[in-house]
Amino acid sequence: MTEPQALAKRRKLWRRIRRQPLGLTAFAVLMILILTVTLGPLAWPFDPDRANPLNNLAPPDGTHWLGTDELGRDVFARILAGGRVSLAVGIFSMLVGLTIGTAIGGSAGYFGGRTEAVLMRLVDVFMAIPAFFLILVIVTTFGNHPVTVIVTVGLGFWAQMARVAHAEFSRFRRHEFVEASRALGGSHPRIMLRHILPQVVPQATVLATLGVGWAILTEAALSYLGLGIQPPLASWGNMLQNAQQYLWLNPLIAIWPGLFIGLTVLAFNLLGNSLRDLLDPRGDS
Amino acid sequence: MTGYLIRRIAQGILVLFLVSIFTFFLINLAPGGPSSLVDFSSTAAEREARLARFELDRSPVERYGLWLTALVTRGDLGTSINQGLPVTDLLLQRLGTTLRLALGALALAVAFGVTLGILAGLHHNRWPDHVVSVISTLGMSIPNFWLGIVAIIVFSVNLGWLPASGSGPIGQRADLATSLRHLALPAGVLAFSLMPNVIRVTRAALLEVLRSDYVRTATAKGIRRRAVVLKHALRNALIPIVSIVGLITTVLFSGSVVIESVFGWPGLGRLAIEAANGRDYPVILGVTLLAGTVVVTVNLIVDLTYAVIDPRVRHD
Repeated sequence: MTEPQALAKRRKLWRRIRRQPLGLTAFAVLMILILTVTLGPLAWPFDPDRANPLNNLAPPDGTHWLGTDELGRDVFARILAGGRVSLAVGIFSMLVGLTIGTAIGGSAGYFGGRTEAVLMRLVDVFMAIPAFFLILVIVTTFGNHPVTVIVTVGLGFWAQMARVAHAEFSRFRRHEFVEASRALGGSHPRIMLRHILPQVVPQATVLATLGVGWAILTEAALSYLGLGIQPPLASWGNMLQNAQQYLWLNPLIAIWPGLFIGLTVLAFNLLGNSLRDLLDPRGDS
Repeated sequence: MTGYLIRRIAQGILVLFLVSIFTFFLINLAPGGPSSLVDFSSTAAEREARLARFELDRSPVERYGLWLTALVTRGDLGTSINQGLPVTDLLLQRLGTTLRLALGALALAVAFGVTLGILAGLHHNRWPDHVVSVISTLGMSIPNFWLGIVAIIVFSVNLGWLPASGSGPIGQRADLATSLRHLALPAGVLAFSLMPNVIRVTRAALLEVLRSDYVRTATAKGIRRRAVVLKHALRNALIPIVSIVGLITTVLFSGSVVIESVFGWPGLGRLAIEAANGRDYPVILGVTLLAGTVVVTVNLIVDLTYAVIDPRVRHD
């Protein structure tokens, strides 16, 4: 490709990106959120774990922007600390689910035959257990160390990814470029990783973006039930765990974490939808 | 058709069998064991006796064999270690309560979801479509348990209109109005998170039908748009909506676990959490298997219904 052609292509892509104002806004919101929760604690004067029983359940004011919780801890500091945990769990869980799902679904689609039958039956098993029951069982078994929570939430997501990877890999398996590579002596892993995987990237990106939103919601629900991230480590979900007891005294502490979860997941969903439109111009949803 | 049915049922049973193996051996890896066995006041002999009673002194493989034999021959899912009651009794007790919540949520989600989906499809890319899209994205993004808490703050704490928890009195004192008042908040909140799925499928189906040749023909013949939509498009667009029911059953189960906790709704989800916290193996296994059975059955029924209402679908 000559230089002017490449430039024209890039300009065209940028024009199409600009036609996604919602997606761009969502991207900006996410960047701001990520920067705030990573750099915010450096500037914010309060420690998220420092309790002050004399000033608990205080309403928002100039010093404590979002008020204090039942132990007198600064809610904004906990939102910042919890946001880091929630975002990290969401992103890493998605990566776990994406990797397992692509590996299993991809192998099933690529090899076909008996491999496909066995692997896809495994996918059926996971699709038959409602994700939350599965997660409940795994967390009970392996405890709720943050890494366990990440892997577990990822396991609730992989089967869906496997179905997509399966469909895509079996579609491309019979394509000429695969046959050509085979004839040139390309090994199966090489064909799968070098030739087919790049074709799946657009679909996987969309699913992964929506997956982060799903993972954040799931972690939040799990932590709300007391089965996910354990206090004193804050997460947006476990901040809601105790808040329900204080609804009559200070309903606001039950509002903030949910607003941040909702905003973040909303941004991931809008970004995912825009990416879908961007990568598949024929679709209309 | 009969061959297809038999094959599908066999597949379903295989999947459930694998679900039971997976769950059984997974929970047996759990360290600690059932909480009721960790009782410091009991003597070693008493503990041994209880272990023997629940056959926990045997190997997991042996226990799985015993469990499966009892299930297949007598329909017996074992006994709850912490509550001492038969698991089947516990499940049946809670199933009705959960079904009430699930069906209430499903009815609301389908009623509002289909209406909004049609609205969006008919006004493709105009403001009603955008408004519906906002509602749908919010439903996907707002954590449903938090929405439940907010609903409690608004409708129970501030307005005092609806009860904040419980499923209402049971037995003779239960009357329909009280039951519905208890159902309103949890079912409404759950429905809000299910609705996006219904909206998306309805809208996509309607758009596809509106683009089809026979709708264009009908329009070209000069039939009014209203008649085209009502007589030709909607009837065919509603077919895919049946498939959503299968799709959202799993979401419904997952959602009810959390919503039941928010609203103190004594259903299967609460039972699952209690069992998980107390490491009550037979109960966890029973709940998971029951949920799996419902999911597999609903999907089978949906596929069969599909064949009945859409003559183009043939199973052979």
